[in-house]
Amino acid sequence: MSVMQNNSEKAKWYLPGVLGGLWITMKHLLGNLLNRKKMMTLNYPEEKYEYSPRFKGNHVLTVKKDGSLRCTACMLCATNCPAECIKITAAEHNDPHVEKYPISYEIDILRCVFCGYCEEACPVDAIRLGPEWQTPAINGANFIYDINYLAYRPSLKGGIQTHVDDEERLKAGI
Amino acid sequence: MPKCTINGKEVEVKEGTSIIEAMQQSGDRIAHYCWHPGLSVAGVCRLCMVEIEGNPRVQIACNTMVTEGMKINNTSEKVRDAVKWGLDFHLINHPLDCPICDQAGECGLQDQYMEYGKYDPEMAEPKQKKHKVVDLGPTVVLDSERCILCSRCVRFTEEVSKTNELGIFNRGDRSEIGTHDGLELNNKYSLNTVDICPVGALTSKDFRFRQRVWYLKDAETVCNGCATGCSVKVYYNKEGFFRVKPVYNEKVNGHWMCDEGRDIYKFVNREHRLLKAQVRNASGWTEMTAGAAAKNANEVLKNASGDSLALVLTAQYTVEEFDAIVSTFVNEFKTKKVFFWINNKESFDNFDGLLLRGDKNPNTKGLLKVLEKHGITATWSDLSAGLANGSIKTIVVAGPENQAVFPDFAERVKELSKAQNLIWMQSGKNDALMSLTGNVWLIPMKSFVEKDGTFVNHAGLEQKFKKVTTVVSEALTLTEAALLLAGKNLAIPTTAQTFLPLNQREDQVALEARKKNEFVFRRGSL
Repeated sequence: MSVMQNNSEKAKWYLPGVLGGLWITMKHLLGNLLNRKKMMTLNYPEEKYEYSPRFKGNHVLTVKKDGSLRCTACMLCATNCPAECIKITAAEHNDPHVEKYPISYEIDILRCVFCGYCEEACPVDAIRLGPEWQTPAINGANFIYDINYLAYRPSLKGGIQTHVDDEERLKAGI
Repeated sequence: MPKCTINGKEVEVKEGTSIIEAMQQSGDRIAHYCWHPGLSVAGVCRLCMVEIEGNPRVQIACNTMVTEGMKINNTSEKVRDAVKWGLDFHLINHPLDCPICDQAGECGLQDQYMEYGKYDPEMAEPKQKKHKVVDLGPTVVLDSERCILCSRCVRFTEEVSKTNELGIFNRGDRSEIGTHDGLELNNKYSLNTVDICPVGALTSKDFRFRQRVWYLKDAETVCNGCATGCSVKVYYNKEGFFRVKPVYNEKVNGHWMCDEGRDIYKFVNREHRLLKAQVRNASGWTEMTAGAAAKNANEVLKNASGDSLALVLTAQYTVEEFDAIVSTFVNEFKTKKVFFWINNKESFDNFDGLLLRGDKNPNTKGLLKVLEKHGITATWSDLSAGLANGSIKTIVVAGPENQAVFPDFAERVKELSKAQNLIWMQSGKNDALMSLTGNVWLIPMKSFVEKDGTFVNHAGLEQKFKKVTTVVSEALTLTEAALLLAGKNLAIPTTAQTFLPLNQREDQVALEARKKNEFVFRRGSL
């Protein structure tokens, strides 16, 4: 950061600026005191602010119609992740049409920078950034999200479905 | 010696060289899926197209010989077009499995598509569905859909392993690779078919889905599975070693290696290793660092007189290490009781005609050479006699790295434990050692990928190899152990620096050296 000195003639007239700032403060103070319902602040955590559904917050792993994970464990998200916070372990699936699936999918949310590159890298729309943004937890372990949290947390109400399912994909010959 | 011009460069090649070989000699890139330098020419993939001046059509490079004054080009518009359409045909029934396919990142078809493809496919017909996960045998899984029928694997079983298990069945776009009725792909070289598969149709059950290849680093070394000493590449990352692949070496293994050799990465990994030294005396086991344990063992060794001290060696270490420990025993401890632990003498001369040898030690010749140099003639019966009459009280053992090829391990441990003090150095864990009673020192050793050295193979060929990485940082090499056992200290070798930049500390690690030891995960690469 560079510190610059403004030595111009205009900079000497600081008082109008200070008073102007003070005026804005007084305006908000009086406005809030007289009309408390219109106050801009929230009493968090009792009152919560909901962002738009397009907001990119906590990750969600999508599921297929039968409720199993959509992820194919290709590890493109883990490769693309600039914070290196995704860890996947792949294994062989019993169903020959599925072949490969993740037995563990972990996101270290403290390292995550919410850049959305994982979402962009995913070829099968298996990971998305959802609208949830509140991530408090009591100890460190709670900040590592596993499959159970990413796909089946209560707020997802049984998981979010992708639009392309394996069955449809196979029928269409993709 | 005909001369030809390839993409404007003049190249002189041997008589009877095909264009594709000439192009490899000149360093030009050319796609090839069915052609393999170690197999016969099939000419079925039609992707190594070249334009020859004076010839109206493009031709395949693998089955056309170079003639005097030939002008070859594989970058022209005509060739590009031919390759593009050839590729289109290959991809008619090829599924877009790259997210699941283990070959992604190493796939020739993928590379070629990125260079020539990226078009809209012009086939209206749906893709032909074939069998997905076909179990070919104990080591290999086939995905018929991904197969492009280059027939490399079929030719391998015909020409190299000569076992003829594989064949191409059905006709047209229903053709599939499969095993003949009642057979399974179960020979000692079966995993080579996985190596030569240009797409991900054949995958190794052992490596399947364990790591994406772009997370792996590789390094060349010498296989320590048997006396052949094949040149191999080991693939590893910070989680450990994952697979071994052959490297072309004209003098030793050609293009191939055996399935047994591919398992050598397993005993190197941490879960099979002795991580800490264990020292046992009257009060029970104590854990120590390797160096401390070796120093501790020196207390016993320096009090032992020459005659009561013996050294047992297995042929699993490098020549330099053998030399260090044998000269320590001969010069410092004044004993010539050095014994060669031979694991399976009867089968030492076995040879299957291709690569596998009965002698499962990588360095038998090297050990014999060192023993001869120091004039050592002791045999195992001397040791047995010495143990029986109690004249040998202290034994130092350089145990095997690959314990699986020592079927007599537990027996020998029992025999050697008759000695008062047993100093056992080895890299792998073993229950027989942990259940010993009496005075025992268990010292972890570095495995062959963790040190520089030389192996002398069955034919007397000396092969030097370099350190790949460190798995157990505390472990000692036999050279270091020899120094510590003799009561000396380890010296850290310093390279003489002729020129130091002014702003650099004397002990600053050079960037090159630092890069080697660190894993830097950049996007998609290590």
